[in-house]
Amino acid sequence: MIWLTWRQHRQQALAAAIGLGLVAGFFLVTHPGIANTFNSTGLASCLGTPGRDCGQIADQFDRQYRGLQFLVPLFLVVPLLVGLFWGAPLVARELEQGTHRLVWTQSVTRRRWFSTKLALIACAVVVGAAVFAELVTWWSGIFVRLHDARFTPGIFDIRGIVPVAYALFALALGVLVGTLVRRTLPAMAATLGGFIAVRVLVTLFARPHYVAAKTASTPVVLAKLGGIMVGNDSFAGGWIIKQVTVDRLGNVLSGGQGLDFASLSGRCPGVIPPPPTEPSPAQLAACLDRLGVHTLTTYQPATRFWAFQGIEFAIYAVLALVMFGAAAWVVRRRLA
Amino acid sequence: MIAFRLETRSGLAPYLQLVHQTKDAMRLGLLQPGDQLPTVKEVVTSIAINPNTVLKAYRELEREGLVEGRPGVGTFVLRTLGGPNSNHPRLRRRLERWIAGARDAGLDEESISALFAATLRGSLQQEDIA
Amino acid sequence: MTTPAIETTVLTKRYGRTWALRDCSLAVPAGRIAALVGPNGAGKTTLLHLAVGLLDPTSGSVRTLGASPRERADILARVGFVAQDAPLYAGFTVRDTLELGRHLNPTWDEDFAIERMRRHDIDLRQRAGTLSGGQRAQVALTLAVAKRPEVRVLDEPLASLDPLARREFLASLMEATAESDLTVLLSSHLVTDMERICDYLIVLSQSRVQVLGEVDTLLATHRVLTGRRKDRAEVAGAEVISASHTERQSTLFVRSTTSIPDPVWTAHEVSLEDLVLEYLAQPAASMLPGPAADGPRDSMEVRA
Repeated sequence: MIWLTWRQHRQQALAAAIGLGLVAGFFLVTHPGIANTFNSTGLASCLGTPGRDCGQIADQFDRQYRGLQFLVPLFLVVPLLVGLFWGAPLVARELEQGTHRLVWTQSVTRRRWFSTKLALIACAVVVGAAVFAELVTWWSGIFVRLHDARFTPGIFDIRGIVPVAYALFALALGVLVGTLVRRTLPAMAATLGGFIAVRVLVTLFARPHYVAAKTASTPVVLAKLGGIMVGNDSFAGGWIIKQVTVDRLGNVLSGGQGLDFASLSGRCPGVIPPPPTEPSPAQLAACLDRLGVHTLTTYQPATRFWAFQGIEFAIYAVLALVMFGAAAWVVRRRLA
Repeated sequence: MIAFRLETRSGLAPYLQLVHQTKDAMRLGLLQPGDQLPTVKEVVTSIAINPNTVLKAYRELEREGLVEGRPGVGTFVLRTLGGPNSNHPRLRRRLERWIAGARDAGLDEESISALFAATLRGSLQQEDIA
Repeated sequence: MTTPAIETTVLTKRYGRTWALRDCSLAVPAGRIAALVGPNGAGKTTLLHLAVGLLDPTSGSVRTLGASPRERADILARVGFVAQDAPLYAGFTVRDTLELGRHLNPTWDEDFAIERMRRHDIDLRQRAGTLSGGQRAQVALTLAVAKRPEVRVLDEPLASLDPLARREFLASLMEATAESDLTVLLSSHLVTDMERICDYLIVLSQSRVQVLGEVDTLLATHRVLTGRRKDRAEVAGAEVISASHTERQSTLFVRSTTSIPDPVWTAHEVSLEDLVLEYLAQPAASMLPGPAADGPRDSMEVRA
């Protein structure tokens, strides 16, 4: 069975290895440049010094590497590819081409056929995904630090250990769907839909609640408008789930950290002139103080990053195991 | 070595066809005593029939004392069929007289053939039952 | 009687509301070459798939070499199967395909397999997807026989072959059978080919077993009777399976254990093909007692 698994999937394995190699090569080539710029512009030391406003240098760096930074969210797709090209065809292709009638009448039970194939492929997926996650984490580190985005959905998903769990989940989903749908292309389509749906749902509705979020109240910071807010230190590296600006009684004045002059003009009579005149900072500050304006932030602190990685990993890993089991059952009991 | 063939339309059981073909070959002198008949494997490989058919045919020939099977070696012809007098001149003359009578009665070649075949089969069957 | 090679007991397979096989009870004695014939959709493929463990019965049971073949690697090692259209992995070379056989079957005879390919002029380096129909059938057959099984099950192995390839395939199959005492069960439309090689017959019609028995016995007990027209199609001592009449003549297809003494009828032997066609034309007729039989019952079972 080991020989057969290798022989049947060696092209896929080769393609994946080449892909991984290309990505690794690309990273190796581009990373020194990024790191150099990061240090030589002083951005590294600036970010390392708490309280300094690095806005201008940061903006410039950001613009320079905008193109490369676009690549980062693309890595979200990689676990899905595992499900589409390794998972969905596994059983579906055999059924579609009728080769199951050949291979399941050799002197090997379906149980052994399925479990050996799956074990070998799952191992390859785990190793490949781990290597990939490690590479991405390393290469994207500077950008992530720049935007303080380690915990942010989208970035959280490509770092650490969760990509491995996503890949296993995608594999399991693909295999299970393949056994139910019995044809490769429809199975791929269903895997695509299912993967995206589950990932979105878990990220939006489950992840914020792994551990009860904290809520903090901060006074409104009259920073310069525009540019990069290099962040309130107490949220640095954390995940801001929701932010609203409210008055003393909790009435919402605006979303986020900013001030909505339109809603303020009613509450601060005479303070907000029509645009483009700017209000006087002293008068504005006095009114804000009178109203008790502050920002309410619901967030997960940075220290919980690895706990969240672990929980999410466990969720997807358990889902994967359950689906592997279901697929095994379908193959042994239900398939013709 | 004799080459067997199977006539699918002959109406005769396959093993009997093989028996008859063997006997014909023996009559024509193509098979002499001591000659080896093709092995079962050789026969089925060349004409794609059930091995049991060949076995049955060889068993029948053995039963009639025409061949002998030697285990591990093969099946060998034991004797000749018909001798120098295989012409059967007396039977031949009687047959000619009967044919003349049938012609007088108005039968054509086909009717004579059919009558002969049916009567032959009928009397052979009677022999089996008896 | 020794254990039948394949035996089914009231075997039934249903897909939702469609019956693929219904109450099939049959036994293929060991060492026979058995033909499974019947119209399309009669359930031949279903029966064969059940016999090799590719399907589970809805009810009833199937036993191959004495046990249920489902998930039994030891039984599968003794059964060689070639599915319809001889499926192979198209991207594998012939050599790869044989390797598959070697790795997945503990009783694999590599030399025999290679020799077979050489004898049929099949290049080991050729991709299975580019083989001709006859070559695919030979490769698939080699895969099934090189593990030296006691039973061979073949689903319409001749269907997509030209006449020469058909003859070669049959010769090949018979040669393998001559070498060892094995059981063969194959399904086919082509009854004339079956007549050459089979000594046991199973006719499936409308998901049921209609005819079952040794070919010699079947041919000895079935006759076509012709005679002057008689409106009542009855013959003493025989079961009339079908009857047709012209103005002057009646033709009856009958089954009987004894010869027909009545001189009114002229008895003719039937070929296997005629026998099968007569039964298939009368779906209600059956050699076996059961719900399908409508006419006079004859509880005689024709079996070795």
